[in-house]
Amino acid sequence: MEPDAQLVQLCVRGDGPAWEKLVRRHARRVFSLCYRFTSNRAEAEDLSQEVFLRIYRTLSSYRPADGAFPTWLASVTRNLLVDHYRRTRRDRLTDSIDDDVAKLERMRSPERAPDRLAEAAELSVQLQHGLARLSPELREAVILRDLAGLDYAEIRLILQVAEGTVKSRINRGRIELARVLGEMGLRRP
Amino acid sequence: MDWNCLLTEDRLSDFLDGVLSTEEARAFSAHCSGCARCGPLVAQIGGLVKEMQSLGPVEEPPQLVARILHLTLGPRASRQGLRRRLAWVPRIWEPQFAMGVVTVAASFFMVFHSVGGGTNHLRRTNLNPVNMIRAIDRQAHLSYARAAKFVNDLRVVYEIESRLQPQPERPSEPSPRPEPPPEEKLLPPSPDPEQESRNPRPVGDSLPRNLLAALLERTSPGTGSVRATWSSR
Repeated sequence: MEPDAQLVQLCVRGDGPAWEKLVRRHARRVFSLCYRFTSNRAEAEDLSQEVFLRIYRTLSSYRPADGAFPTWLASVTRNLLVDHYRRTRRDRLTDSIDDDVAKLERMRSPERAPDRLAEAAELSVQLQHGLARLSPELREAVILRDLAGLDYAEIRLILQVAEGTVKSRINRGRIELARVLGEMGLRRP
Repeated sequence: MDWNCLLTEDRLSDFLDGVLSTEEARAFSAHCSGCARCGPLVAQIGGLVKEMQSLGPVEEPPQLVARILHLTLGPRASRQGLRRRLAWVPRIWEPQFAMGVVTVAASFFMVFHSVGGGTNHLRRTNLNPVNMIRAIDRQAHLSYARAAKFVNDLRVVYEIESRLQPQPERPSEPSPRPEPPPEEKLLPPSPDPEQESRNPRPVGDSLPRNLLAALLERTSPGTGSVRATWSSR
């Protein structure tokens, strides 16, 4: 499997198949970040397209020395998420995860055998409810650390803040998330 | 080391990440084991973090990659486009296609042959549109003349045949006519043979008139009904 940096170089030279490989490799990561942040699949899909469109236009500005390609990708995604958050702050409420509540109800129905997949899906939906209640700063920190699996240095690069701030936000985000889930009755404190 | 609830909350993630010093970690654990608030809190957050880290990424919609590629690379005219353009190639071997090709070829051959351009003496002048139209015109007239000649020949034969047939003699006394067979019923009584011989009609004249009369008799009581149907249309 070609490294990302090599694919990026090919893409800059106009290699279509290399771009396709890059998109296929990272589409899930980008979509997942967008969905975890927005709690809405349609919005996440639109934002993912926007992310890749921006990446495609600015690919020549990527320097491997500045960090790994996934970190750069996450940084671009995060910036777009912030823009999107600011744009839609007024008309956003927590109603966007209603479809997930319906899914959750279906999962809890007695005819469905409780298996690991269903448990994971249920946990995922519960988390989504909790994340939607966090402030955007805490939410993004928790998502990048615990759901995207990035380390502190990478998160510091993405958020452009001091590492101490990153740690503090992650810590506060986790505690807040546990509290919110407990309040919602989804998880016992 | 002196430890309290505030410190536990502040350093909770460091503890979970395992970056506390040995002394700090010992003090942290000692406080949590004795504190009714911090013990459950640490256990809960630890469980939550583990669960979150065990979750995989959310699966993207199936059409997402295609849309991104469409947005960035445009309509994909590369391999798929070529494949679509050559999709008809395997269909050559399908029976319907082969039958169609054979039928079209046979039609062309027949038309070409009837025009007079046999494959034996095919020249460039045969393919000139003017010559082709002239040849088709000539062939059409010839065919019409042949058909007309054939019909006339048939008429002559029928006429001779009908004259050679002996006419049934008319009985002297009026007697009940024998019931004619059903097909004869349709025909009107034949004209007098003597008058016929004295004043012969042109060949073929009698047959169509008789036929028309028979047809009218069969379809009527009156042609009005036919006309009404037409007018009602």
